[in-house]
Amino acid sequence: MPFDTLLGAWIATGLTLFILSFLYEDNPLFKVAEHLYVGVSVGYTIVKAYDTVIIHLIYEPIVKQGDWSLLIPLSIGMLMLTRYVPKAAWLSRYAFAFIVGVGSGLAIPRTISSYILKQVEDTVRPLASMVPGDGLTFSFNLLNPASNLNTIIILLGVTSVLFYFFFSVEHTGAGKAVARTGILFLMISFGAAFGYTVMARMSLLIGRLTDLIEFSDPSYGRATLWLAAVTVAALVIWARQRREQPPEG
Amino acid sequence: MTFAERMLKIDRRIIFAVIGLCTLLPLLYPVGLPIKVSPEVRGVYDYIESLPPGSVFLLSMDFDPASKPELYPQSIAILRHAFRKNLRVIVMTLWVTGTGLADQVISQIAQETGKVNGRDYVFLGWSPGAGSVIINMGQDLYTTFPVDYYGKPTKELPVLEGVQNLRDVNYAVSLAAGNPGVEAWYVFGKDKYKFELGGGCTGVIAPGLYPLLRSGQINGLIGGLRGAAEYESLIGQKGRAVAGMDAQSATHFAIIVLVILCNIFYVSLRRKQKG
Amino acid sequence: MIFFRRQAPLLVTLVTGLVFAAQYYVPHPASEQLLTSVTKWMQIIGGFALVLGVTSLFHLHAVRIRRREPGWGYSLILYAGLLGTIAVGLWANGKETMDGAPTAFGWIYTYMLVPLQGTMFAILAFFIASAAYRSFRARSREAAVLLAAAIIVMMGRVPLGEYLLPASGDVSQWILNVLNASVRRAILIGVSLGAVALSFKIIFGVERSYLGGGKE
Repeated sequence: MPFDTLLGAWIATGLTLFILSFLYEDNPLFKVAEHLYVGVSVGYTIVKAYDTVIIHLIYEPIVKQGDWSLLIPLSIGMLMLTRYVPKAAWLSRYAFAFIVGVGSGLAIPRTISSYILKQVEDTVRPLASMVPGDGLTFSFNLLNPASNLNTIIILLGVTSVLFYFFFSVEHTGAGKAVARTGILFLMISFGAAFGYTVMARMSLLIGRLTDLIEFSDPSYGRATLWLAAVTVAALVIWARQRREQPPEG
Repeated sequence: MTFAERMLKIDRRIIFAVIGLCTLLPLLYPVGLPIKVSPEVRGVYDYIESLPPGSVFLLSMDFDPASKPELYPQSIAILRHAFRKNLRVIVMTLWVTGTGLADQVISQIAQETGKVNGRDYVFLGWSPGAGSVIINMGQDLYTTFPVDYYGKPTKELPVLEGVQNLRDVNYAVSLAAGNPGVEAWYVFGKDKYKFELGGGCTGVIAPGLYPLLRSGQINGLIGGLRGAAEYESLIGQKGRAVAGMDAQSATHFAIIVLVILCNIFYVSLRRKQKG
Repeated sequence: MIFFRRQAPLLVTLVTGLVFAAQYYVPHPASEQLLTSVTKWMQIIGGFALVLGVTSLFHLHAVRIRRREPGWGYSLILYAGLLGTIAVGLWANGKETMDGAPTAFGWIYTYMLVPLQGTMFAILAFFIASAAYRSFRARSREAAVLLAAAIIVMMGRVPLGEYLLPASGDVSQWILNVLNASVRRAILIGVSLGAVALSFKIIFGVERSYLGGGKE
């Protein structure tokens, strides 16, 4: 086992256990790991932004390939940084105006096409199918999302939920029934979302524990077991010290 | 305090311990229950399976280390499949902190399958700009990425021969943990440049992508660790995802039991208060 | 002067917004070239925006260290991690691997960033369990429906659930592909209509909060 891998395994295991110690209580070990996390992730982002943007997107094309048109976005980017100079901060508005203008302009037709037109198109599909030879048929198969029965259910769901969120009209009488149907659909959807969220969170934990189990192997010097003992001991000592300290004020 | 009240106010660290055990024990002592494959995952698998050798396949790993346990196994399985089909693979990412993971996975799987950088695959790396990057790639790939991640000019790479922009990509899959992700690839990419698009995602955003799946805007969806396990079973190479399924079963049932118990205690408490 | 501080930026938004909304419908090569160039510019500007986001963090913790506020030691650790990563990263030219072998920067990524970020999000599993136990109560009919759907989906998406009750797998597939898809579709259409309306408001200067920066 090369030394850097071994050292890396011990550091990774230690940091994982420090963060897991939060489950007992917020403690100094967790705070150290938490602040280290913020520092390292921001540092990584800065290095990547410098390497990709400054070197590869600005310096090399302008200086080495002579693409002077890139001075325009460079100056817009620099304008953005004037936000930090109180007297000149109004210059940054041009940069934000440009970004937001381009962003909104690009997004409008694409959003309309992808999310509104295409989605509505798929909702208003035929409620019965024409099969050559058999004529008009109606498929009941619930397990096939494209069946006619499901098409009706989807149409019902989309319209009732859209109606539920339309607050400009009072939900009384027939409207109340439609709104109640919408709420029912919404609750089922939220339940499914909750189930999936649980699945996702548990998967993340499974992933971390798989790594911890891998690092408890003798080839890594049983890192997990030793560091777990150290973490527990540190927590016990810290908890005792806190209890012995007289209360403030 | 009645039993129900005491149980409802139980120290949360006991619940933490229950979850911890339900995750740890099945990982140490796996059972290996069969995994049924869903039509959503089959959509991605069947399409890649149908691509002729030499087709251009784009994999965008739009996630960061927070979602590694769910999406990294998906990327491993898809890349193994793509290389087995001898597709020309383009890997990239729209998330800055995902670059290291993307670099790791493509290097590892390429080495495992004997594929050569530049000839069989290219790693373009990361670029800021999200939707703008996708549009720019749709206009001209070489403007967006004049060099690959390791500094080699992309115009000279044999793997990108005949590929001018996204219209020349036969299939793109975005493994997404949020925004920018599958939606961005559709809205800024497929909508105008008309390549076939599939998606992989975390369990958190999966339910929100079903409208796109139903309308055919994406032709398949691999959801979470379960989706990765299904894909691993389909390609016949079981890995971390399948190994995690037993723990997934145990924790889900733990949550179901906890929720049912909490409701039983709550109902019995309400009855006592009323009566 | 007020014009340059207030009106001119709004004019920039109006012009760029309308030009790029119209660009989608104009297939002329000049229009396509404009799209290519400006989206390239957006890559570069996006990089600056990223830097803008992180520099505020520098400031916050630098102040904490300078004023020796409680917990300033942790801010010192943050700075050490930040500057150390930047130094190592620049030394490795921003690359995690060099000819297949990992660099020191790659080491920091694999053995510090990945476990730290991974575990920060993994502990949420514990909190979702404890929160579910404390508060997921069927107080009303709608809540009971939510609960039932959640339990069916949780069972149907794991091998054990499909083994014990094969119907749970089919029912959860139906819930996701039909019921959930219809609701999410309605939400998607509604949110997109709102987003398009907001984009128009921004382009025409009705919504100005994005400008910020400076007086007036």
